Amino acid sequence: MLTRQISIATPIFLMIFVIQEAVVSQFRLPGGGFSILLIFALTWAVLSQPEVAAVIGFASGIFMDLSQSASGPFGQWTLIMLLAGYAISYIGYGDDNIHANAIGIVFFVVVANFFVEIAYLLSGALLGVSTGSIGQIITTLFGMSIWALLVSPIMLPIFTRLHAMIFDSRSSI
Amino acid sequence: MRNGGEGRARLLLVILIVTSLFLITLDLRGVKVIEGFKQGTQTVLSPFQRAGAAVLNPVKDFFSDVTHLGRTRSQIEKLEAENAALKIKLLNRKNADGQLKQLEAILDLAGTAGYKVVNAKVISHGSSQSFSQTLTIDSGSNAGIKKNMTVLSQFGLAGVVKDVYPNSALIQLASDPAFKVGARIAGSQQIGILSGRGNRSASLQLLDNSTTIKVGDVLLARGSVANRPFVPGVPLGYVSQVDNSAGAVAQTATVRYYTNFSTLGVVAIVVSGPTSDPGDALIPEKPRVAPVPTVTVTVTPSPTASK
Repeated sequence: MLTRQISIATPIFLMIFVIQEAVVSQFRLPGGGFSILLIFALTWAVLSQPEVAAVIGFASGIFMDLSQSASGPFGQWTLIMLLAGYAISYIGYGDDNIHANAIGIVFFVVVANFFVEIAYLLSGALLGVSTGSIGQIITTLFGMSIWALLVSPIMLPIFTRLHAMIFDSRSSI
Repeated sequence: MRNGGEGRARLLLVILIVTSLFLITLDLRGVKVIEGFKQGTQTVLSPFQRAGAAVLNPVKDFFSDVTHLGRTRSQIEKLEAENAALKIKLLNRKNADGQLKQLEAILDLAGTAGYKVVNAKVISHGSSQSFSQTLTIDSGSNAGIKKNMTVLSQFGLAGVVKDVYPNSALIQLASDPAFKVGARIAGSQQIGILSGRGNRSASLQLLDNSTTIKVGDVLLARGSVANRPFVPGVPLGYVSQVDNSAGAVAQTATVRYYTNFSTLGVVAIVVSGPTSDPGDALIPEKPRVAPVPTVTVTVTPSPTASK
């Protein structure tokens, strides 16, 4: 069952990855912009069971590592997204305060987006990845969170419908 | 049953974590398979990026106009006076004209220094999710581009070629936090290391503790052995602030790059360096202040004035 669902979900993630690289990356948005793939993966993690979220995190992390803008070693995003997916789902799955309304999911995704970027920074520091000045890091962190806050509500209906279609869940909003 | 399900989930998680750590180790050890995997992905992605760039250029121009609304108010007011047909024509031509202008300036710069260059269009700006500053161009190894070649903008250094694929290449911008270039100050010939900060400013660390720098000093690239990754004499930027912290081993300064990285549409890759160091020949001219005509009014008493 899980294998079937993941095999259906992977082409969707591939499509989102191509959209991110071919469309979203065309714009140099102020404050660092946003990653549609990251928002998509986090939204799915909120809606899925922990083990599904971990596999989805792993797959999206692979795509993020394949991105030309990934500055760290291959596997860094994979590890972070896998752990983030599992952790988000572990905290959020079955909690009606989060699942019952769109605002709860958006808030959860934005906060997760912020902490995932911090996790990337910290692991990057351990692996010797240069990340810039403190001021620039803070600007990018808050900029990306604001963008996630703006983009998530627009994308949420599409993402949840796709999730419901594949996982046959009642999470469509 | 429940315990079995939880155990399976844990096992899956452990397998995935071990796989991720394995991938990180392979990459840090420089295994070619990972590199090939990334190259293959970029080869597949570059046609999509080209298509995206072609389709989205008018939209990008629109957003650029909105961003600079305050600064270009007078220009917008002028445009408003023109008719609708002219506006549409202008919108379509604007991108091509801008790129042509950039290209002209780049060729001027390269010609003065005697660099042999290959021109390329920017097809994608890297995402900032990884705190890096990169862009992708539409020329690669088929056009003679190799790794570690200098990339020029119309104003000076734009970055360095980080990865090359058959029909595209990844450029590490000079603003990238991991970017470092040997610099010398024009005139005084003091040397230092310029490091990117993630934006248009960079930090300069002088190597000699007995030398001093001042605001306005112009920085040029020192050049590397065999002109790779950096050809000598490329304008980098100017000193915008000098840090006079007590106890510092050598003086440091904040430098503002000449290149505006957010507006790069066309770049040039130096495929062959100059035969001799161009020295300070590429220093950009200082902006000239246009003289304001002075109006002198002489008041002459009227002969018809009443007594």
